[in-house]
Parts: sequence; C-alpha cells; structure tokens
Amino acid sequence: MNLTRRNFLTWAGISAVGAVSCKIPFPEGELQIQSPVRLPEDLVKGQDNWYATLCRQCPAAEGVLVRVMEGRAKKVQGNPNYPVNLGKQSARCDAGLQALYHPHRLAGPMSRSGPKGAGQYQPVAWDQALNTLGSQLSDRGQGLVLITEPLRAHLGLIVSRFATAFGGRHLGFQTLDDTTYRGAAKSVFGQDVLPGFDIAHANYLISFGADFLSTWGSPTHFSRAYGEFRHGAGRTRRGTHVHVEPRFSMTAANADRWLPIAPGWEGHLALSLAYVIIAEGLQAPGVDVAGLTGGRGAASLEAFRPETVAPRIGLPEGLLVLPGKDAAEFIRQLARDFAANRPSLAIGGDSAGAHSNGQFNLEAIYALNYLVGSVGAPGGVVFNPASPLPDLPAAAKVGSLADWAGVAEDIRGGRSKLLLVHQADPVHGLPPSVGFREALGREDLFTVSFSSFMDETTALADLILPDRVYLEDWGSDIPEPGPGYYTLGFQQPVVNPLSDYDPRSFADLLLAAAQEQGKSANLPWPRLRDFLRESSDALFALNRGSIQAASADEFWTTLLRQGGWWDEKGTGPRPGAAPRDLLAGIAARAAAPSYFGAADGEFFLLPFAHNTLLDGQNAHLPWLQGAPDPITTITWQTWVEVNDHKVKELGLREGDVVRVESAAGVSILAPVYPNPALPPNVVGIPLGQGRRSGGEYAAGRAAPESANVLDLLEDRRVAVSGALAWAGARVRLTPTGQSIRISKFEGTSPAREIGLSPSEDIFKTVSSNGAAGGAR
Amino acid sequence: MLPKGKMVPLALVGLGTAAIMVFVLVVVAMSWFSNPPFGLGNAPPQPIAFPHTVHAGAPEQGGLGIQCEFCHRNVTKGAAATVPAVEQCLFCHKTATGSPGTAQAAEIAKIREGITDGPPGSPPAVDWDKTNPINWERVHRLPDHVRFVHEAHVRFFTAGTTPETQLPVAQVCSKCHGDVASMTEVQPQARQSLKMGTCLDCHRQNSVPTDCTVCHQ
Repeated sequence: MNLTRRNFLTWAGISAVGAVSCKIPFPEGELQIQSPVRLPEDLVKGQDNWYATLCRQCPAAEGVLVRVMEGRAKKVQGNPNYPVNLGKQSARCDAGLQALYHPHRLAGPMSRSGPKGAGQYQPVAWDQALNTLGSQLSDRGQGLVLITEPLRAHLGLIVSRFATAFGGRHLGFQTLDDTTYRGAAKSVFGQDVLPGFDIAHANYLISFGADFLSTWGSPTHFSRAYGEFRHGAGRTRRGTHVHVEPRFSMTAANADRWLPIAPGWEGHLALSLAYVIIAEGLQAPGVDVAGLTGGRGAASLEAFRPETVAPRIGLPEGLLVLPGKDAAEFIRQLARDFAANRPSLAIGGDSAGAHSNGQFNLEAIYALNYLVGSVGAPGGVVFNPASPLPDLPAAAKVGSLADWAGVAEDIRGGRSKLLLVHQADPVHGLPPSVGFREALGREDLFTVSFSSFMDETTALADLILPDRVYLEDWGSDIPEPGPGYYTLGFQQPVVNPLSDYDPRSFADLLLAAAQEQGKSANLPWPRLRDFLRESSDALFALNRGSIQAASADEFWTTLLRQGGWWDEKGTGPRPGAAPRDLLAGIAARAAAPSYFGAADGEFFLLPFAHNTLLDGQNAHLPWLQGAPDPITTITWQTWVEVNDHKVKELGLREGDVVRVESAAGVSILAPVYPNPALPPNVVGIPLGQGRRSGGEYAAGRAAPESANVLDLLEDRRVAVSGALAWAGARVRLTPTGQSIRISKFEGTSPAREIGLSPSEDIFKTVSSNGAAGGAR
Repeated sequence: MLPKGKMVPLALVGLGTAAIMVFVLVVVAMSWFSNPPFGLGNAPPQPIAFPHTVHAGAPEQGGLGIQCEFCHRNVTKGAAATVPAVEQCLFCHKTATGSPGTAQAAEIAKIREGITDGPPGSPPAVDWDKTNPINWERVHRLPDHVRFVHEAHVRFFTAGTTPETQLPVAQVCSKCHGDVASMTEVQPQARQSLKMGTCLDCHRQNSVPTDCTVCHQ
C-alpha cells in the first residue's frame, strides 16, 4: 500500500475515532473515593501528650501523668518516677478530670447580693472584685485569718508569709486533723516532719486504728509497700499483719488478724505488749530498757499486765479472734510474735488518736518501735528530712479544734474581721458547737472564698474569687509522709481553663495583692511560677539528686518533665537515742478514754473517712460518689453500719432509716446497713455525705434533716493536742419507720453455686473433705 | 537483506507510526482538557448533593463554620486528606434530618440509608450492617507518579516562623483547592488545576526545592 495523502488521512482519522470510541481504561473506582461506613478508630485527629504534674484530690498529693489531646485532659495516671506512688494512683486521682470539666464549677468572680448564707450572688468583673479585695485588705487586713487545705512547700510558704505580713495567721484545715499524731511523733521521735514507715521490708506489722490502706496518711504509698510486704520479690516469707480497730475497715479486712478493741483502749494494749516484751526480755539486742523505763524495767508498766488490761479492752474472749486461749494469754503471744519476727513495726492513727486520751494512745503505740529496734532501721520507722531548700515548709500547718475555737472566738470578739478561705470547708467539717457557722454569718466579718466549687463555707462568703483547678495551675509539694529522702514534687498546668470559665490562680492573686498593699517584702515574686523557677535554679545549684543537667534551663524542663526532683542519698536525720524514761513517762500519763454524747447510748459511734469522698471534699465528683465503699459496696449515700444481730434485735431491716442521736436534739438520719463484722456495741458512719451546699452531686440527696455525721460531735478535745476527739461519742438508734433502698453493688444479683441442680452434671475437682476428684 | 518483494513498505511503517502518534496525542489532549482526573472542568455529579457552603461556610453567611480538618481528619496527619466516614456524618445527621419534604431532607436521607427508626420519639437507631458506604466522585486527583503528602504542606504553611507560614488550616487548603467553603459543588479553580505547573509555581514562590525527586518517585 502506498502512503498517499488519502491513505494517511484515512488512517489518522480511524485512529482518532478509535481513541475516542474506546474508553480510556481506568480501573473501576479509580475516579471515586469512598466514605467508609464506620469511623476507623485510628482516624483520630490530634496527638496525645503526657504531662507530669501533681494530683490534689487528697492531701497525699500523688505524682501523676495527664494525657492531653487537643488541649483537653483525658486521663490521669500515676507517675512511675514519683517516689510517693511510683506509677500507682488512687481512684481519687482519676476523678481529677471531673473537677476540671465539672458543670458546677464557679465560672468567675461573684459578689454577694442577698443576705449572708442565702446563696445569692451576682457575677462581677475581675477588676471590680480585685478592688474589693484590695480595699478589704487595707481596711480589715490586720488580724486576718487565712484558712487553706493543709499546705506545704511553695504555696505553704506564700500563704504563711502573706498572713504574717498582715498581722494575721494561717491555718490548714483538716476535718479529721492529724495534730494529735503530729504531737505524738514529736514527743516520741522528736520529729517535726511526719515519719514514714518502711512497711515493704517489715516482717510483722501491728496497726492501731490507722486505715492506712484506704484513707490514712499516704494510702497509695502504703498500699504499694503493703504489696511488697505480702509478696515482694526477694522476700523469704510473707509479712504478718495484725490490725487493732473497733470497726471492720478496709485495712482490717486485709489483715491476718483483726482485733475489735473497745474504742479508746489502744494505748493500754500497746503498753501491755511493752510490758510483756520487757518482762520476758524479748526486746531487740542493744535496746536500753532501763533508759526507757526510768531504770525500773517491767515494774514501771506493772499497771499494764495483760491480766489487768485484757478485761478492759473488750477483746471478745473465746470468739473468733482468740480460739482456745484467754485474752491475757493472747496478748502475751501477740507480744512474743511482735518481738520475735523482726523487723517489726507498730503504727497508729485515725480513731486510736481521736479520743480524750488519744495522744497517750499514739505515744504508747509508737514507743513500741523502740523496744524492737525499729526506729530508723530497715522495715521500721523512717525519718523524713526537712525541705531541701531553706524556708520551704516540709510539714503542713494544721489547726486543731482548739485553734478553730480560737478563730471563732476572735471573729465573735471583733478581733478578726477578714477571713480568706481556700479549698477548705470548716463550716461543714467542724462540730456545730464550735459555732463556726454562726461566726461566719456575722455582718461585721468579710469572707473571701477562693474555692472553685460551692461549699458550705463558700455559701457564707461575701466575695468569691474562684481559683484555677490544680490541672490548670502551678504548684509544688514536699510529700508528707515522704519516702524517707529529699523530694520536691512540681505541679504544672497541663490545660487551659475552658473558655466558659475565668478562674485566677490563688497564689498569683495573693502575690499581686501583697504587692499592691506594699506588703511584698517577703513575697517578691510576681507569680508562683517565678518562685518555682527560682527554686528550680536553687536545686540546680545543689548539683545532686535525680536530675543531671548542663544548664539551669535544661534542669527546669527536665524537672517539669519528670514531675519533680528527689535525692535518694539525702535521707532524713539519723535517729538518736529514745527520749529518757519514754515508756515510764507515757505510762504515767495513761488515762482511760472518756466518752460523750448519749450517756445511756448503747453504741459507740465511729465516724470514718469515706474511701473516695474523704471528709466530703470530693463529694461533688460523681465518679467518686459512684465508687463503691470497699467493705459495704454502698454508693451515692451515707449509711449506719450496725452489727446484723443488733439490727434484728432492734426489729430493723437493711435500708430502714434510723435517727442517730448523741444528745437531746442532736441527731442525724441515715439508713441501716447490717454488717456482721461490726462489734455489737459499735456503729460506723462515713464522713463525706450530707453536705448542705455544693450542687446536686454533693448536696440535696440527704434526708430532710442532717446526714452529716460530724453534726453528732461535740466540742470535745484530745488532751494535750487539743484536736477534735471525733471517736468518743456514744449514740442511740431510734427507728423512724421510714425505709429506703440502699444503693449497693453487693447482693444485687443473687449468686448460686453451680452443680446444686441435678440437671447440672458437673464434677468438682476437689471434694468437700479435701480428697481430689470424684465427688459430685 | 531481504528480497525486495518481502520488505515491509516504508510507507506502511510511516502510516502505522503516524496512527499511533495521533492516538496518543488525542488521548493526552482529552485527558488534559476534559474533566478530572487531569483536567480543569466542571464539577462531576456526586451521589449526594453535599454543599460545602452549609457545612464549612462562614457562620455570618449562614454556614456552620466547621473546620476542614474536622471532616478531612487525616489532612494534618498523613498523605491523604481522607473523606469522612458515614458514621461521622451521622454524628449530626442522626438528628439533623432537614425539614420533611424538602430536597435537602431527601439528600440527607441518602446518608441515612439503612438506618432503622425506632418507635416515635426515640432517637433513630443505626444498623451499621445495612448502611452503605458513599462513593464520591473524585474532583482532585494527582497521577500515580506524583507523591503528594498533605500533612507536609499543611505543616509548612501553619507551623512556620513568618506570618505567611502561620496560616489557619482553612487558608492553606484554599491555596490549592480554592475557597471550598463557598462552593455548593466542588470543582477545580482557575490557575489551580493541580498540574505540574501549579506545583512548581508555588514551590518557586516559597523557595522550596524543585528537584524531580521531591515529587516524583
């Protein structure tokens, strides 16, 4: 074929038509993009960041890591590096997120617009609110009272210097205050900073009253150590634990043996153990018994012979705790075990120290540690160092009931006209007879609350300046009890407040106010962060401890990244000899507990801190309301634990509402929970519920009358320390005829053993008499 | 050398070559000037008339102001911007069903295909097994020999040190895709054909390397 022009054009035409007519061969779907049906889990926008900071849901201030995505905190978990909790955390820490995003958070400054206590407030601008604060400080600042949660480290120093600059005073508020325990630690060990306990390396542990696995001291720290104590790697044997407490607490439930002692007699039992140890010569080698007893040996404790003590302390003879032995012999055997299985450790607190003779009780308990050589030794009492930096307080300054009565008196006498309150609720936490509610209601008192949430004290305030929640703010802590070496935890803001909220940092407000009033000679920092940075530079200059850095800047960033600084070589003071005549002196101060309340009351009342709500400071957080009590599994409400036989005797059933009455006209209402583990003469009621203000989660669910167990207490004090004797009340129970359903996890779905029905043809591998196999 | 009678006529070879060249030319030209994938053209018909104006439009113009990266969730994280899952549409359209009887409601109902409504007053339950994926028609597509990573480009223009490189994400998107928030139907815009010239112009303007291997693998 010749390539003529005609042919060329023909073929060009054919190929062009061919190109157009045959479709361009794209694979099917190539020009489409598909929306999948389900959102793939990994298609999450944003990246997570983890920041180290401190939890402030309980006084232990555990170190936590917070997961933050797109500026929102999503998860709180323990900081594996932080010496107090080493990666573990309590349920209270998890609920910090709810404090952050709580619908009842106070959004901005408010000023009172109705009568005091009516709860009527109007929002004001920050400028106006700060002007009011400034003018109140200059008019009434002299003699001001600054009430906070127990504070240590930087904020502790700022509030204390602020109060001093105005000629006022600062007091930390704790409902179940530990001033008695502090007093005992001071007189027995000579320590201002609370000691720690090396539970992990102890072989034998006797605890008196202290519910250290739930709420007492630093529960996560202790719980972790308790795990080591029971089955730690490298242990040759499991530690033995005896718990002495009238109520069956979480710690009692974990112990090998629980001794339901008569309330207030713990010190007598402790001295009785001491008597046996000395009389039988069981003390650790090198213990100067003569020095402890004034040279008189066991004779100085003659009054505490087991035969004398046993009938008083109410151990149920022959019952489950003392099979086959009488109580005196049991005490002797307990003392022998305690002395023989060294290192052994005795700790006490909570209800043991909350009787009129509480300080005697705790001193007697802690003195036992000298007899077994456990003071300052591995597996014993560990002394904590003071602050690594000068001036920073390592011990919280906590007010006793005597202090609070003094404050109320000063307000009534017109000597204190300005009250500043931060994250403390003394109106809820003090017995009504102290008169704090009436004092705060006085017209000549101006109260400023820095609380992030409404509570009973804030409801009486004239001005509310909401603080940032701790996940939004700077801070620091020296843990108390500490791990036994220098530790300074740092708290950094991990998120900004939501745009609906306009809180301001309490510390920064105090620093600015001091500046404005010309009182900043001892408070030169513009903001708390500047103070923290200054301390970071000071720690860098020390050139030791957990952070190695080339520059101060690198030190600061590493410090924040790790959540703090600690120096394991910087241990506490070496213990000196025991105070002279320690045991003899304690024995001389011995006293029986004196009770108050209903003289004909059949029951001893044992209030106890709620496992998650504590004294009520966490009552506004639904997660913690919904966390079941570890013993009763009750959620969202208060209850009265009564021995189940007693419940039958009174003709009651679970959920029947009773009036708990400690004196004429002093009563609360609560439903009964039958608890077989409670001694017949004791009732237990948790703290935390029955708040009168604070939103629907904390308040408003109570019976028409009070459900706050603290309302049953009187202005009775522990001798010497002046703390509230909260465990010494006697009460009557009167049925009201009403009944409510108790919300609890336990027993809601009946359990039935498999294999009981003939149709279930299953075989047990072990028969009831222990023989393997076969038995149906 | 083959005998003369057996040789393929030179003319035939020329004709074949010419035909192949014309075929290729026409294909390339069609690709270049016609609708997507490679061309600048009109909006292809989509299975659901999704208006970006309503979703991403500025609130003052009656839009919802949803950020681009809320739906195109991967755009700041990986190579592909991705289209949202049906489940994500239903975040809102479970309850936002449009006024009954309108065209809008009919379009929204297409997303909700397979959703079984419960008794009156209860929120509609979704039967995921019966819900269908949506096959959108691609408006923008780069050929396979181009390696384009959305994340790197968004990062360049949002996380830089100069004002020009600290833009909001939406402005970065519009550099290549036009002001999608104002488009009822998405279509390529003038001088944003996403051909190699568009890429090179921008790379040169911003002093970014133009080596072949930067984009071509």
